[in-house]
Order: sequence, then structure tokens, then C-alpha cells
Amino acid sequence: MAAADSPSSALRRRDLCSRGIRLAGKMRTDVVDLLDAYVEQQGLDASASVAAVEGVPVAAVERWDEQTGTQRLLENLAAYRAFRALLAQMLEEQREQLGEADAGLGRALAAVLLQVSAFAYHLEELLRLESRGIPSEEGDGPPAPPRLSLFEQKLRGLGVLRELAQWAVRSVRDLRQLAKPSPATATAPGLAESP
Amino acid sequence: HIQYERVGADVTMKCGSMDWDAAVTWTANGTDIDESHLNGSYLILKNVDLSQSGQYSCYEGSSWHLKYQTYLRVGTPPKEPVLMCRSNNYPKGFYCSWHLPTPTYIPNSFNISVIHGTKDMVCEKDAVPKNRCHIRYLQLFSTVKYKVTLTVTNALGKNFTSLTFDEFAIVKPDPPENVVAKPVPNNPRRLEVSWQNPSSWPDPESFPLKFFLRYRPLILDQWQHVELSDGTSHTITDAYAGKEYIIQVAAKDNDIGTWSDWSVAVHATPWTEEPKHLTTEAQITETTSASTSSFMAPPTTKICDKGAVVGSGAVAVCWTAGLVVAAYSVLFI
Repeated sequence: MAAADSPSSALRRRDLCSRGIRLAGKMRTDVVDLLDAYVEQQGLDASASVAAVEGVPVAAVERWDEQTGTQRLLENLAAYRAFRALLAQMLEEQREQLGEADAGLGRALAAVLLQVSAFAYHLEELLRLESRGIPSEEGDGPPAPPRLSLFEQKLRGLGVLRELAQWAVRSVRDLRQLAKPSPATATAPGLAESP
Repeated sequence: HIQYERVGADVTMKCGSMDWDAAVTWTANGTDIDESHLNGSYLILKNVDLSQSGQYSCYEGSSWHLKYQTYLRVGTPPKEPVLMCRSNNYPKGFYCSWHLPTPTYIPNSFNISVIHGTKDMVCEKDAVPKNRCHIRYLQLFSTVKYKVTLTVTNALGKNFTSLTFDEFAIVKPDPPENVVAKPVPNNPRRLEVSWQNPSSWPDPESFPLKFFLRYRPLILDQWQHVELSDGTSHTITDAYAGKEYIIQVAAKDNDIGTWSDWSVAVHATPWTEEPKHLTTEAQITETTSASTSSFMAPPTTKICDKGAVVGSGAVAVCWTAGLVVAAYSVLFI
């Protein structure tokens, strides 16, 4: 990976990682605030357990420290693309349910959606830098959901925002790993060839 | 043979297989027990207390054959235990520790279970301290909560408590280590503080810590606070000159969890001008300039300060230095 190892590429990668870390950090703060507002506005119990919902990317990962840089980027990208679609759906549902009654929540959702989109684009930049092909979005995103009751929609929204908050923390950690200088070996820990 | 009884209970001890009307002697820790405590050959202890724990023996009246012996342990069933879980070595794992709010005075056994979602996890007991166990994280960034249940059992009863928490919520580093505070030469309002990451934090490069520094002069109660997002040093620039300060530092993961406890406190006093150690020349200078200045400035310090300059342009002269020169001149006339 000569391109990845050149000084300018390394600097660009570190710069992208630093900016990505700041983006993810800001996103997390906003998602946490949105989560609090969402729980309150939707009349939910903040401590309610929400079963894993199909289509919501789960942040939990085993052997996180053993992941390659490419795995990190690809998993992050897939997750944020999915969140982009999920948040758009939530926004639509919000508008249907409440119309203009809760513009504040809608605006907060839209703001987070924007950040998620920006972060997904940022991840694509990182992948391009490493001369990795950007996976197509065809087939990405959640499957068309069955028509859920209002309460089920609310619970799913809770699950989406919770996982997004976890992902934001994971992304900061992932980018810090990526920003580490790679040792001059064939299998650089940051960006080894994907299997 | 050990017999456990609750504090306040009434205890009846039979002398083995001896008949009720047999003549026996009971002893407690080798001391004869008064007959008033006997009902026939039975020993009756009413409303037992902790001091009545000990070895009780029953001897046949005439032969003094030992017929029965027991060790009485008076205690209480366990109250609800106090359980705490914390990750001071994130992302490796976490530990849980526990204790009883009041002693039971008899042996207790503890059993701890940890469930993550539907998965049972093993909490490996530490050799030291005994009331602690640790768990390795199998997953990171999970939204599924952990539930830890601690059950304490003894011969008189059992009790339990549970904790439910998120992975992030229990992250709390140990305090920073090796906090050092030093004066800054020629700077009467500065103190340089440095510290190290806690040695228990496994990977500060990937999981950086941020720090909170607090300081105050000993003579005041109000703390000053500074939050530092990176680095393990800081220069205090607003210290009161000549006052001894107390300084502490706390740490937190940059993204999750809670602040550590405060570090061990260190004390430091900012640099102050001090009299030079007297030499012959210095003595003369000090004597002649005694009326103009309380101390001699250290060699590296300018004799002039802004307020002492008179005149302007190329002719500006420090009046303090002028007096010194004048004094020398007088001496050598």
C-alpha cells in the first residue's frame, strides 16, 4: 500500500481521523441530548430495555482490539449508512405523528441526520485515501419495515438512538486506532488487507 | 461440632444421650456453669449474646466423663450486602467488590453471578482482597446492560443484592500518579504541576484520559479548578506569591464514565526572591543599600524594574542601581 504509506497520505489520514474524531464526539453529544428529549417527548421510560431491532446496526463487537483498519472503516460506514436511512424514517414518522406539534424534536432529529450523513461521507473519504473501493449502497439500509404500531415505532426509535450513541463512541475509538502510526511491516495494524 | 445461634435467641443444649435427670456438670471454656442455668441435665442459655460464644462441655456427674461438647457461635444472619462494580482498566474488564454493612460474627460465604443479556459470565475471584472478583469484557460498546447479583449466606440466613449497569457507566479510572508540583524560578505566581496516567489504565494512547486539576492556598478554602483535555502537566499562573498551595488531580476517560477520586495532595510554594547567602562583597552592597531595598535581587534578576526607572531614552537610569553606585562611590572616597 504505497499510497497509504507515503508521508502525505499519512498526514492526510491523521488529519481526516482527527476531524472525524471531533465530528463523532460532537455527534455523540447531540445524540445523547436528542435521546433525552426523545424519551421525554415520547413518554418512554429511559431505563426500558429494547430488544435488538432488525436493521439497526449493533455497536457491540467482540475482539474489537483485533480489528484491522479496513474492518473498522467498513463496519462504521455500513452502520452510518443504515442510521442515515433509519433517522430519515424516524423523521418522517415524527412528522406524520405530530405534524408541527413538536418541531423542536424534528429539528434535533434533522440535525443529527445531517451529522450522520456528514460522518458517512467522511468515512468514505478515509476509504478513498486508502485506495479502498467504496461499497455500493445498493441493498444497504433497513429492509422495508412491517407497519408498526405507534408504540412500536417509539421503541424502535429509542433503540436506534441508543445504538447510534454507542456507535459514536466506538467511532471515536476506531478513528484513534486508525490515526496511530503504522509500523513498517507488511501487515500494518491500521490498514491490513481485508480478508 | 459447631452450633450457630442468633443473638437474642434462647439456646437449649442436651448433654448428649444423658437422661434429663442425670447429674451433669457443664462448663463454658473450661469454667463451670452455675446450676441456675440448668434444667435437669439441659443447659439453658436465654437471650444469648456475642460474649457467650465459646466451647461448651458436659461431663457426667461422678465420673467426669465428657459426654458432649460443642462450640457455640453466636451471630446474626447477613444484612443486605453492599456491592460496587467499577472498571478502572477499561476496555479490559471490570471488577466488583462487596462487604457487609454490619458484621455477622460467624463465617459467611459469597456467591456472585454476572449476566450480560442472556449470557452468564464468570467473575473470577481475586486472591487478595477476598471480597472482590473481576471480569473480562467479551464485547465492547454494547447497549445491553450487565446484571450482577451477590448472595451472602451463613448458618443463620441469607441475603442478596443486585446491580444493573451499562458498560460505560462504571468506567472510573484510578487517580493520577506521581503528582509533582514545583515552583518556577523567577516567577512568583507560577507553579508547574505534572503527573502520570494511573498505571492501572491499560492503553492511554487509544483511550486517552482527561484531567481535572484543583488547587488552593492553604490559608483559603476555595478551590480553583482547571480541566485539561490532554497532556499530563499544567502551569498554574495565578498563584498568590509566597503562599503554600495544595494541589490535586483527577482523571476521567475522555469520552465515557466518571471522574476518578482525587490524587494524593501535593504541596508547593511559588518561587520568591530570597536574600543571597552573604559573601564579603554582598555584605557591603547590602549594608549600603539597606535603606533602599529589603533584599538583594538574585544575580539572574534584573536590578531595574519598570517602576524604578527615571529619566527617558538613552539617559534612563534605574534609581535603585544609582543608589548602589553612589554608595560604592562613597565607600571608596
